[in-house]
Amino acid sequence: MASNLDPITFAVLKSAVESIVDDMAYTVMRTARSPIVRDVLDYSTTMCDAKGRILAQAKTVALHLGAVPDAMEALLRHYGDDLAPGDVIIFNDPYDGGMHLPDIFMFKPIFRDDQHVGFSVVICHHCDVGGRVPGSNASDSTEIFQEGLRIPPLKLFERGVPSKAIFDIIRKNVRLPDLVIGDLEAQLATCALGERELLRLVDKYGVDTFQSFLAEFLDYGERLTRNEIAAWPDGSYTFTDYIDGDGFTFEPIPIKVTITVRDSQLDVDFTGSAPQVRGAINSTLSFVKSATYLAVRCVLDGEVPNNSGVYRCIDVSAPKGTLLNPEFPAPVAARALTGYRVADTVLGALSKIVPEKVAAAGEGGNSVVCLGGYDKTTREPFIMVDMINGALGARATRDGIDAITNPSQNMSNMPVEVMEATYPVRIEEYGLRPDSAGAGRTRGGLGVVREYRLMADEAVLQLRADRYDTPPYGLFGGAPAASSRNLLASNGGDFELLDSKVTRTVYKGDVIRHEQAGGGGYGAPLERPLDAILEDLRDGKITPAYARKFYGVITDGRGIDEAATGALRAEMADSGAESAAP
Amino acid sequence: MRAGRSNRIGVDIGGTFTDLVLIDAEGRLFHNKTASTPAAPEQAVLDGIRAIIAQTDLDFADIDEIVHGTTVGSNTLLQKVGARTGLITTRGFRDVLEIGRLRTPGMFDLQWSKPEPLVARRHRLEVTERIAFDGSIILPLDEDELVTVTRDLVDEGIESIALCFLNSYRNPVHEQRAGQVLSEAFPDLRVTTSVSVLPEAKEYERTSTTVVNAYVAPVLGKYLTRLEEGIAGLGINAPLLVGNSNGALASSETARSKPVFFISSGRAAGVVGGGRLGQALDLPDLVVFDMGGTTASASLVQNGELSRVSEYEFRAGISTPSRFIKAGGYMMSVPTVDVAEVGSGAGSIAHLDSAGLIKVGPISAGADPGPVCYDMGGTRPTVTDANLVLGYLPASIAGGARQLSVDKAREAIAGTLGEALQLDAVEAAFGVREVTNANMARAIRAVTVERGVDPRDFTLAAIGGSGPVHAASIAELLSIKRLLIPASPGVFTAMGMLAGDVERYYIAPFAGELETLDATALRELTGRLRQQATETLRAEGIADDCIECITEINLHFRGQEMTLAVPFDEPFDPAVVRGQFLDMYQSIYSYSSSDSIEAVSIRLTGRGLLPGKLDFRKISADRPEVAEPKSRRDVYFGRDSGWVSTPVYARPTAPRSLEGPAILEAADSTVVIPPAATARLDPQLNLHIELA
Repeated sequence: MASNLDPITFAVLKSAVESIVDDMAYTVMRTARSPIVRDVLDYSTTMCDAKGRILAQAKTVALHLGAVPDAMEALLRHYGDDLAPGDVIIFNDPYDGGMHLPDIFMFKPIFRDDQHVGFSVVICHHCDVGGRVPGSNASDSTEIFQEGLRIPPLKLFERGVPSKAIFDIIRKNVRLPDLVIGDLEAQLATCALGERELLRLVDKYGVDTFQSFLAEFLDYGERLTRNEIAAWPDGSYTFTDYIDGDGFTFEPIPIKVTITVRDSQLDVDFTGSAPQVRGAINSTLSFVKSATYLAVRCVLDGEVPNNSGVYRCIDVSAPKGTLLNPEFPAPVAARALTGYRVADTVLGALSKIVPEKVAAAGEGGNSVVCLGGYDKTTREPFIMVDMINGALGARATRDGIDAITNPSQNMSNMPVEVMEATYPVRIEEYGLRPDSAGAGRTRGGLGVVREYRLMADEAVLQLRADRYDTPPYGLFGGAPAASSRNLLASNGGDFELLDSKVTRTVYKGDVIRHEQAGGGGYGAPLERPLDAILEDLRDGKITPAYARKFYGVITDGRGIDEAATGALRAEMADSGAESAAP
Repeated sequence: MRAGRSNRIGVDIGGTFTDLVLIDAEGRLFHNKTASTPAAPEQAVLDGIRAIIAQTDLDFADIDEIVHGTTVGSNTLLQKVGARTGLITTRGFRDVLEIGRLRTPGMFDLQWSKPEPLVARRHRLEVTERIAFDGSIILPLDEDELVTVTRDLVDEGIESIALCFLNSYRNPVHEQRAGQVLSEAFPDLRVTTSVSVLPEAKEYERTSTTVVNAYVAPVLGKYLTRLEEGIAGLGINAPLLVGNSNGALASSETARSKPVFFISSGRAAGVVGGGRLGQALDLPDLVVFDMGGTTASASLVQNGELSRVSEYEFRAGISTPSRFIKAGGYMMSVPTVDVAEVGSGAGSIAHLDSAGLIKVGPISAGADPGPVCYDMGGTRPTVTDANLVLGYLPASIAGGARQLSVDKAREAIAGTLGEALQLDAVEAAFGVREVTNANMARAIRAVTVERGVDPRDFTLAAIGGSGPVHAASIAELLSIKRLLIPASPGVFTAMGMLAGDVERYYIAPFAGELETLDATALRELTGRLRQQATETLRAEGIADDCIECITEINLHFRGQEMTLAVPFDEPFDPAVVRGQFLDMYQSIYSYSSSDSIEAVSIRLTGRGLLPGKLDFRKISADRPEVAEPKSRRDVYFGRDSGWVSTPVYARPTAPRSLEGPAILEAADSTVVIPPAATARLDPQLNLHIELA
């Protein structure tokens, strides 16, 4: 520990930095305009040191933050020796530090006198950045130029003076300029708050003490991480999971990972994953790193801080020209899906290293339902971007969670009453999806169902779901969860099954229904206590048919037919033993 | 009409003690601590009343009013011992309660679990009905179906029903009709409609609030009945007022019908008391800091006004100071004094994490085994042990009833922390104290810095048994210069009960652009709300000239979700309100916008000003002064000062003016005055400390 930094000052500074990023997150929520930011909370806030290393991140979208180091690298490459007080830099270019176009990064360098001491960073998912479809989030674009306005690293403010040119260009290129500019203002306010609070800290403790703290804090994160990894068995562990298809083809797209544990270092290699695809689910390597860090972080102790020190222990690589490291100008708008699957895959491999710390696969990432169009009479545009979450897979000693954010994020949902008052939709159902969980000694969480009736004359529907063909995996004998489904009832007809990724026009009265996958089970279903099965039956979370199929329980939904159940379970145990035999 | 009340009792039930304060007609103050009786909390209240009356020359019949803060609501939620509750919703939405807002309180935590919903899925049923977002009726209410599904619930033993239909805040007709139908069909069933509790948008928040109400109502009702019967049995013929979560008071009848407003009944009273004390002493800007055994909390009084929020979550265990998280608790959208709480208190256990950093809490040694120094079998050092080793606490507490073992505390700290940190017991103990102070400061930051409020402009008012032990050090961390330690910090919350006004809250949706609001409709709406408030307060016995109504309009920039409440007077002037909103917005977020401003709803608070309200200026405290300290002991004030020989005074007889270092001891708490600070005791025995 640095000589001028006592453990107490260290602890105080650590909690101070952590509360600054929470303050920042709260400020975004309070000031943002678009429902995707203010209700769904698709944004993140972080504080970096002058070298761009993450000091702390708020309890916001985790998947954003592992990408900050690469974004910082791009920023410093462009402006490393050209940063001044009052500057604000923005960008969204996936091929120059960004992730996908709707995510606009904003950085504010923080100076005390002439000394550069850090950066406020705020990333918001904007409701529209132009391009061929409302919401700028289609799965079926084929090159980045279709996906919207591409912003290279630019100074939105230079020494406190706003760039009218950049604001004007953004305003002219997005469908909902008031919301986009409003959300940019929220980002600006938040960066300013981060600056104010960080300077307060620097002034109180002095620049030198603060710099010592930075170095020690990153080392501390690294030390805690290494302590844990060192206790893991050395070796290589492989796991493969799949994405349904890219919206053009329906061939499962593999993501393969090999994690090598060597002493206290992890090498995470994605060789063997699919080549770059035509549709927009390609993911930048920075985002793959994000997803990997987050999966590893999920099995580390809760005390490990969320700073760059942690990342020093994790090397991530993927060959160029693949799904996980695409070449320009591949489209990337729907890359979030790939990030979720990368996290699922890495957690699958980690289940072989620390089985008691993982969960079986969850719903597979939020499903995105986007409806966009123009009001017939006013010509006012509307764009509804709704994200449906989610289910957590079963854990070693407890069930998964019914209806919960994906751990890759910490997202919320849009209240039905807010949606109906804001968009031309009526929600016909929002509920848990019975029987969607994977059975097991502990069961997975239930996914949710959301049903939208379009009240406008017509709209473009973009639906991005997954886990159709490869359901969320169970672990150690636990069953996979139910697959997800997209359904559409047009012209008052019955529901018809759609593909997992859809872009099409829908009309007034059409009903769009998404049934989300649940979470996988953990351990053999026959080991699940009958009491727990009966509880789920009584709550209608599983049906008698499901209880019979997975647990061998014969029931009318209230009581169990013990004799018949005993016989069926004995038979299932026998056949299970047979099928498990070599 | 109640007037001329003079002999008033304030009661605050805590986990360990039930505190009572009695102020008589002459302004004399009595207090009493009685062991709490969690199984039947009213027992301790009645015992305490007997005991405190015995200290005075009063008879039971002389008592004019009893004001009560109850933990029955929060304990009912914490221990899940509420009524068997059912929920009936619009078809398609039975799971809104369980789905919630999806977020988790922590990140990267695969082992967390959602709290069980208060109503199991099997008891959440749906009926056919539908109201559109604009209030129009899409599908009429199927009353037969309603009765059928409710019968199923009643057959299952359900005692209390929450009714929450989609968009009912825009048109309550279906909910109100359903309430009627159920009351007629099932006279014994307790029914709560969501519009009667919270006629506001957002189905989860409204459903959850309604469900908490339905869940708690029968339990709180029975408790209040037992308490009122017990009080009457003593020969007291006085109204019982109950403190609500917002720090105001209401009749026990209101608490029975809308218990969701009374869940944090006790917690808010300390802040109200702090505000009143600040008013009496001309200190309008206070951070009220309360530190007990397992938690500590902070709240803000700014310009004499308490800081309030319109929703909060009740959680088992600890609420983080982050107000940003909406997860993991039972959401209640009701006005509440904004209190940030951290899970460290005097009993919290200090330990090292795997990288060798000192952590304090969240595990607490509790009352059993208690801190190591209690010598009751505790082996893990607590904050109290650290304070004892450092000389901040006396070697015996509770008026000499309990001897503390300094040696045991020192050994535990040296063994558990010191060796690994290569520090001696004293330095390690000081580290524990410093980390604790940093945690406490976090709670204060949450209510100051997080709102863009500079804590240095405030006086830190420290209450609770341990608040005054740490207050000066925490103030230093936040660069706060002035401290206020009230006369009886250990029973201050009970005193706060006597400082509240009667309040009732009303809210009504009122949407539109600020500039073009329909002034006539607004006037009619506020007139209606004012009338409702006045009638209700009259019915509670408040004289007309003691009733005031505060109107506020909730505003935001177009597209925003959260609102700021701007007070307004009539006639409504959009330009004035606009200016106030922009100022408020600018001061919180350091920027403003030229976008259009929208109104969302109107809030009206009806307030009945109680004539007998506690006035701290009138508390009399004749006392002898003893200039000489009763003893001296060495206290460790950090590496720079080291051990300092410190005079110890009995607080009731301490000299009027003091210089630090000094320690003041009283039965209910110990006050630490650090070196170089100056302090004075005012005539009411409040201690004012100025740090160097």
